[in-house]
Amino acid sequence: MKTLGTLAKLCAIAAGLLMVFITLMTVTSVIGRDFFGKAITGDFELSGAACGAAVGLFMPWCQYKRGNIIVDFFTANAGEATVGFLDRAGALVLGIVMAVLSWRTTLGGISAFNSNSGTMMLGFPEWIVYAAIVPGLALTAVIAFVQAFLGFNEDLPESNPELAV
Amino acid sequence: MSGIQLALLIFAVMLAMMALRVPIAISMFVAGVTGYLIQRGWAPLASFLNSQAYARFASYDLSVIPLFILMGHFATQGGISKALFAFAAGVMGRFKGGLAMAAVFACAAFGAICGSSVATAATITNVAYDEMRKHGYSGRLTTGTLAAGGTLGILIPPSVPLVIYAILTEQNIAKLFMAAMVPGILAMLSYMIAIALYVRFVPGHAPEKDVIAKQKMSEALKGILPIAVIFVIVFGGIYGGLFTPTEGAAVGAFCTFAAALLKREMNWTKFKSCFYATAESSAMIFLIFLGADIMNAALALTQVPGQLAEVVGSWGLSPVMVVACIMLFYVVLGAVMDELSMILLTIPIFFPMIMGLDFGMSKEYTAIWFGVMVLMTVGFGMLAPPVGLNVYVVNSMTKNKGDAVPIAESYRGVLPFLAADTVRAILVLFFPMISLWALRFVQT
Repeated sequence: MKTLGTLAKLCAIAAGLLMVFITLMTVTSVIGRDFFGKAITGDFELSGAACGAAVGLFMPWCQYKRGNIIVDFFTANAGEATVGFLDRAGALVLGIVMAVLSWRTTLGGISAFNSNSGTMMLGFPEWIVYAAIVPGLALTAVIAFVQAFLGFNEDLPESNPELAV
Repeated sequence: MSGIQLALLIFAVMLAMMALRVPIAISMFVAGVTGYLIQRGWAPLASFLNSQAYARFASYDLSVIPLFILMGHFATQGGISKALFAFAAGVMGRFKGGLAMAAVFACAAFGAICGSSVATAATITNVAYDEMRKHGYSGRLTTGTLAAGGTLGILIPPSVPLVIYAILTEQNIAKLFMAAMVPGILAMLSYMIAIALYVRFVPGHAPEKDVIAKQKMSEALKGILPIAVIFVIVFGGIYGGLFTPTEGAAVGAFCTFAAALLKREMNWTKFKSCFYATAESSAMIFLIFLGADIMNAALALTQVPGQLAEVVGSWGLSPVMVVACIMLFYVVLGAVMDELSMILLTIPIFFPMIMGLDFGMSKEYTAIWFGVMVLMTVGFGMLAPPVGLNVYVVNSMTKNKGDAVPIAESYRGVLPFLAADTVRAILVLFFPMISLWALRFVQT
């Protein structure tokens, strides 16, 4: 589980750096366009692609931290054992969904590769983005399965409250 | 099965799974997949799923969400809030309940660079809580004020929920931000009035007089300057036509990071924790997007959303009453569900219905006004029991500070603010122009 946590952290950092890339590129492009009359061609396509890869890579950390929102209204009075069991079952369902998504996204990526589809202005190959999304989804599935079968990592510090929207 | 039975089945699956503590996004996903499979079978579903993650994640339009979230976390970690609260305390300290008002003002100002309600509440709690308690404010008023103040984070632009609404309904983000501006300022003022009334009529929650050290003008300016500069650059740029709101989010993230660097508050550890925090909230939101996506696709196939509009139309309710009913429905649903999932799930159903009604204003104005109404309900839901996320977060922070306030006290503390929210919602419901008049300043 520790290793998975480290992997998830690395993914989150990689994704964060992608966001920084988007930020810097956009700022450069905006300054170029507004003050020098020359923007970066297709900057928004690169932003979209980088964002896709980043969101995929965000997923594992969120699941590791159990950041996906759960309704605890109905189980407020349930015992600890019941809640623990339900949460592990929930992680199992999430793992299955993530596994299915990784599988279908892989197929989607293969078909994008075969059809050579790319973005409109730059022709940036779509399959690269697919390929960047799949590892994030797959790692999320693995983390969820481990949580479902081995239990959650209880040593995590209290979830940082400055997170949700 | 008839369409209506199918739609009910889809909802039943979702609610059952949600009640059993399956993450909301996954409950929607599984319910949607079930509905899709029954109606269309595996092959169309499979091809839908092949490109779904790509289509949702790698979207330039949606990149605005993690960018605004990142900007908010840079602001949170950037040490901007401490000087801000000191400035506010210097200005408001002379009034009775002044520190509470200062906290509200600090929340509003922080909200100008942060698009998240919880992050705003948590950030200002960090700098204001101890100070308020030390001066003799009760746990009830302190936690209530900070939780309520947090909702200013989403009312004052930027605002992540409003961005999500804009994306779902294909409305102009810049205009929505502008329309939320006046209700946001109204909210700030009404919260201050609520505090002033509360400390007068309910004794024992605030000191007679706050004793606050005088600040030099130059010190005070330092408190407000970084936020003012970032706000002017980002929104000046957006409304001055220099860049789009999505670009504005990137510019804002950049400026906020630069401000944190200048304050020497940013290091690699904090930088990393910004990434982790951004990862957690962005992943959570995008997963809800995926779930709501397929659930809405399945519901659309049943054609019930369209029929619903007709049925509601046939009741002969006045359009404003329809909106009022939706707001009430949100308040009830918000008791069990988180507000973002609620928006993502219901807007695709309610929005076409609203657009089919005649409010005596243009379609665009109707869409923007409804968005502001929805946003205010979200703010309400962040405070209202049984699960007000802001209240919960602020309250749990008091535990970490070793000064645990009972949660029931905190919920009592938000009551005056909920009353203020209700008044404001009713005002904007009946007088849309309160929010819409500011649109004249937006060039198209």
